[in-house]
Amino acid sequence: MNVVSRRTFIVAAVAAFVFTAVPATAQVPSGKLVLYTSQPERDASQTVAAFKKTYPGVDVDVFRSGTTEVMGKLAAEFSAGQPKADVLLLADAATMEALKKDGRLLPYPQARLDGFDSGAYDADRTYFGSKLITTGIAVNTAAKNRPASWADLAKPEYKGQIAMPSPLYSGAAAIMLGTMTARPDLGWSYFEKLKAADAVAVRGNGAVVTAVANGEKPYGVLVDFMAFNAKLKGSPIDFIFPAEGNPAVTEPVAILKTTANQPAAKAFIDFILSDEGQKLAVSMGYIPAKATVGMPSWYPAGAKIKLMPTDISKVVETNSANLKRFADLFGN
Amino acid sequence: MARLTVEGLTKSFGSFRALDDVSLQVNDGEFVAILGPSGCGKTTLLRQIAGFDKSEAGRILIGNSVVSSAATHVPPERRRIGIVFQSYALWPHMSVAENVAYGLTVAGVKEPERSRRVDAALSLVDLDGFGQRTPAMLSGGQRQRVALARCLVTEPGLVLLDEPLANLDVHLRASMEDEFVRFHERTGTTMIYITHDQAEAMALADRIGVMDSGRLLQLAKPSQLYREPANARVAGFVGDGMVLPVAIRSVDGDGTCAADLYGHVVRVRCEPTQKAVSAAQVCLRARDLTIVAPDAAGVAARVDRAVYQGGFFRLEAHVEAAPDKLLHLTVPEPFMLAPGAAVKLDVADGWIISGTGRN
Amino acid sequence: MSDPIQMIDAGGLRERVEDSALLWSLVLVVAVLSVLPLARLLLEGIAPAGHLSADALLRVLGTSSTWTATQHSLVTAFGGTLLAVVVGTLVALTVSLTDIRGANAFVFCFVAPLLLAAQVVALAWLQVFGPSSTLLKLIGIAPPMGSRNPLYSAGGIILVLGVQYAPLVFLTLRAGLRSLPQELLEAGLAGGAGPMKVVRTIVMPLMTPPLLASVALCFVSCLGNFGIPALLGIPGNYLVLPTLIYQRLAGLGPGVLSEVAVLSVLIGAIAVIGIVSQDLLLRGRDFRTVSASAVARPFELQRWRLPVEVALWTLTALLLVLPLTALVLTSLVPAVGVPLNFESATADNYHFVLLEHAGTRRALRNSFGLSATAAIAIVVIAVPLAYFLVWRRNRLLRLVNLVTEVPYALPGVVLAIAAILVFLKPLPLLGVSLYNTIWIILFCYLARFLVLGLRPIISGYHQLDRTLEEASQIAGARLLRRLVTIIMPLVAPAAAAGALLIFLTAFNELTVSALLWSSGTETLGVVFFSFQQGGDSTYAAALGVLTVMVSFGLMLATLALANRLPRGVLPWRD
Repeated sequence: MNVVSRRTFIVAAVAAFVFTAVPATAQVPSGKLVLYTSQPERDASQTVAAFKKTYPGVDVDVFRSGTTEVMGKLAAEFSAGQPKADVLLLADAATMEALKKDGRLLPYPQARLDGFDSGAYDADRTYFGSKLITTGIAVNTAAKNRPASWADLAKPEYKGQIAMPSPLYSGAAAIMLGTMTARPDLGWSYFEKLKAADAVAVRGNGAVVTAVANGEKPYGVLVDFMAFNAKLKGSPIDFIFPAEGNPAVTEPVAILKTTANQPAAKAFIDFILSDEGQKLAVSMGYIPAKATVGMPSWYPAGAKIKLMPTDISKVVETNSANLKRFADLFGN
Repeated sequence: MARLTVEGLTKSFGSFRALDDVSLQVNDGEFVAILGPSGCGKTTLLRQIAGFDKSEAGRILIGNSVVSSAATHVPPERRRIGIVFQSYALWPHMSVAENVAYGLTVAGVKEPERSRRVDAALSLVDLDGFGQRTPAMLSGGQRQRVALARCLVTEPGLVLLDEPLANLDVHLRASMEDEFVRFHERTGTTMIYITHDQAEAMALADRIGVMDSGRLLQLAKPSQLYREPANARVAGFVGDGMVLPVAIRSVDGDGTCAADLYGHVVRVRCEPTQKAVSAAQVCLRARDLTIVAPDAAGVAARVDRAVYQGGFFRLEAHVEAAPDKLLHLTVPEPFMLAPGAAVKLDVADGWIISGTGRN
Repeated sequence: MSDPIQMIDAGGLRERVEDSALLWSLVLVVAVLSVLPLARLLLEGIAPAGHLSADALLRVLGTSSTWTATQHSLVTAFGGTLLAVVVGTLVALTVSLTDIRGANAFVFCFVAPLLLAAQVVALAWLQVFGPSSTLLKLIGIAPPMGSRNPLYSAGGIILVLGVQYAPLVFLTLRAGLRSLPQELLEAGLAGGAGPMKVVRTIVMPLMTPPLLASVALCFVSCLGNFGIPALLGIPGNYLVLPTLIYQRLAGLGPGVLSEVAVLSVLIGAIAVIGIVSQDLLLRGRDFRTVSASAVARPFELQRWRLPVEVALWTLTALLLVLPLTALVLTSLVPAVGVPLNFESATADNYHFVLLEHAGTRRALRNSFGLSATAAIAIVVIAVPLAYFLVWRRNRLLRLVNLVTEVPYALPGVVLAIAAILVFLKPLPLLGVSLYNTIWIILFCYLARFLVLGLRPIISGYHQLDRTLEEASQIAGARLLRRLVTIIMPLVAPAAAAGALLIFLTAFNELTVSALLWSSGTETLGVVFFSFQQGGDSTYAAALGVLTVMVSFGLMLATLALANRLPRGVLPWRD
């Protein structure tokens, strides 16, 4: 090679490097990211810590509270005209649907969704499920009976011994209500039977796991990870996958349209959907949304969980009517 | 020292007239008592002078400055007066010395001057060494004196005393009266003394203002009030006078006149300008009545009762001709007549009430 | 006269200006604290998103659940108040007027339940009555699994509410009883009345102001309490207004904020009616008792003394020891439901909460700072405010008085939302935003707990003889000096009762900070709440015990200062 072409080569190489590297650096997310979430606090801090390891330039501010509190805070911010949140990680898709209908969410069509079941994310790419949280039957190890199906709970031997999370206060329970009442084999008659069995609807899954582990209500309707995390710590609690199947929520993540830091927000979504993010969920005791990364330790090897399909738009549509009917049914 | 002038002061509480066009003037260094029964308006007057309540009409001047009027109202903290409250109003969370020193602290007087003046004030009221006690540890009389010391330590030009001896026992009252008199002589402060006790007022005051139902009836020297009451109410209230109807027969130019009292003609005092009218009133005092022999000239009366008072009796009787007219006089021990007995009473002196109030 | 300014301004202009300045600044403070957030909320109710609309109003007022919840609110508020007043009054009279031994220790323990958050108390009682009761299991009389817990009912709510607020009545009443002079009791006894009759005919009528103050305060507290009906009422869908509001918020419908606003107005209206009634009952009556005479000597109980002492300590055992023990036991197990014995007992929960969980230490600092600041600031505002309310009787101030009730009666979540609406955008002149700082939480605490300081202090004023102030006026003291040197020391017992109440309530506060906290500004309530929601009851219990220990420590620390404080300021020290 003569001198001129070598120099040209070098210049070209350098130029190529600059042109590809610089934009890449310019896209490294930085600045502040505000996350509103209703995850348990431990999980929220672990998620954020792992995210910051991958994207050290981003400073994350987390607001964690119950779903009702988070939505109340958001509603107030919307009303006052200056929402502060960039990303939301909430319990269930019904809540996200409501926000989407209100035009509050920013679509992220470039999200990498290979390996994800189509039911796990919104068709319009406004929200994406981060994990799979199923609801099943929790049982105190000292309890006399072991129900094998949802229908079993309605039997007389379980009377007065069941706790369930109230759909009036828990989005996940609202989805469960909508899903189960839409099924012919369960429907509203199932809940009427539960009411006749003196089932108690408490405020949130946390109260259910406490009641079941305590033995106050030896049988409970509960989300999987809570039962298994308690069991790991030594609580006398077992989790049963009922024969009819498990309703599930996906704990979706979404970006608010009014976000002040789109690159960082998108990076957060990327992280959640990445293998690393999904493996983190597994390590926290959740079934991941991307089944291929593995399963949590409590998952029975080789088993296949029967999920109850949820028509999310139908659930959202019938939500207020369902809640009202539930309130009337379980009222005093 | 300050002069107090009150002009046409009026104050109502809702529909109740507490003060009705009251005017008076207290001279520099004078000791004036405001005397009257409960509800006569004397406390209201004091509160107006102090500045706790605003007036509706009239003016108040302390010295030469207007402190209350339609246009001005100087707040109490600026009037430079002292008050001894009926309840003493000692601050329970402070010691005696702190109570007394308060006014000096407010005025910015520093140590050692402040302690000196506090000790001097306590000395003045015979409470040396009581500085560290708290009010709760003191007797009524001692609290009274602390209140006085507190009032005096700031050397105000005008001191108001609101029934200060009302809560003390009889013996203490006498010594406290002396206290006040001595104090007044020593300092020459202008003092206004509110009381319902006429003996107290007479003993202490240079002049007495008698009030009733919001009006000032008469403001005069004690002896003048006693000897020449301006109207029936003053006559009754001061010296426990008896007011009876008379017909004036003749007026002599030297301030006496002859009056027909139920058929008995008596020689009594009157205003020089008094006319001989058939319907007048005379004020009699107990000491001017004596029992005379049944057949002597006098007013016929019947005994109601005789109350023993230690060495003498207070005899209560009514006029035979007019049983609703009551008389009383003192009679030395022993007294033998029973209730219902007839007596004849002679009148040595009296005063024709002219009916108009007079300052 | 040496002061030239005095000579120029002989007409008292300076005093009038000072008086007005103080008055108007107080009105402004209260307006900002109480009126501003509520007005903004009201606006949301009738004009959501800027358009005037009666939709929310009609929707809310037209549903039967609104009126059912209102009825339930009134029932539980009246019931809880009645219970609290009966218990609190009996205890206050016994402790203040008789010669029982260990009175100070008892007062300490009786007031202590205020240290526990309402939901902690309710949870503890639930557990005590339930089949899982560690306590009952230890004794061996635990009810069978699955039996219905009797506390899930209106009666259960009333019981726990009454028990929660009895110390509040006690504190207010005790401050009033402290100033009862001996002569009044002795006059009654000399007149031939027995001690019971003296109490009934002399003491109680004189205690009307503090009694009414505590009734009003109790009523509003019960009305606005969220934690207890949330725990005991939600499972049976026995809703009161605060939990109804919460349910609406959870419902996710559009326009939810305006419905919440309308329901809040309903709560506010009920609270205002309560305070107006109190005012009317107190009007024109004379309850002045503060004087320089010694405090009443106690009645001797003689042979009744031991039974009464036993009864009182049993009460303490029920109210304090029971829930506290349940909490401690829960905090010592490694996981919920594991029976407690020597092998299973562990300090891991405490280790985690104190040493590993960074939020706890921050929360302790934050909660302490917020509560102490709120207590002091509110007392400083309330003393002059009460002066004008009781002794100057301004009509504008009457209105102000009513308004202060409302931020306390509203559910915390509503107040938080109102604060967000007001403070989200930066402040007009300063350009700084309070949102997501600790200052917005402080603001809400000041607004919410102002009434807790104001009511006891107002009743303190009712018992003062105004001539004490007049005497200092005559001595030349202007308003500010009078407030500081004369009035403040005289209302100090009442002020201290208020400050204590504020501190203890704010320390455990949960529902307001649940919406307003941000990184670094979490409070103890927020941390507790997130532990419970996440199913970590053992961590929650450990935190609860730590909170109680810190509060106990603080209360004990006040004893060290006791000598410097005026008499009657500390309820647990003579």
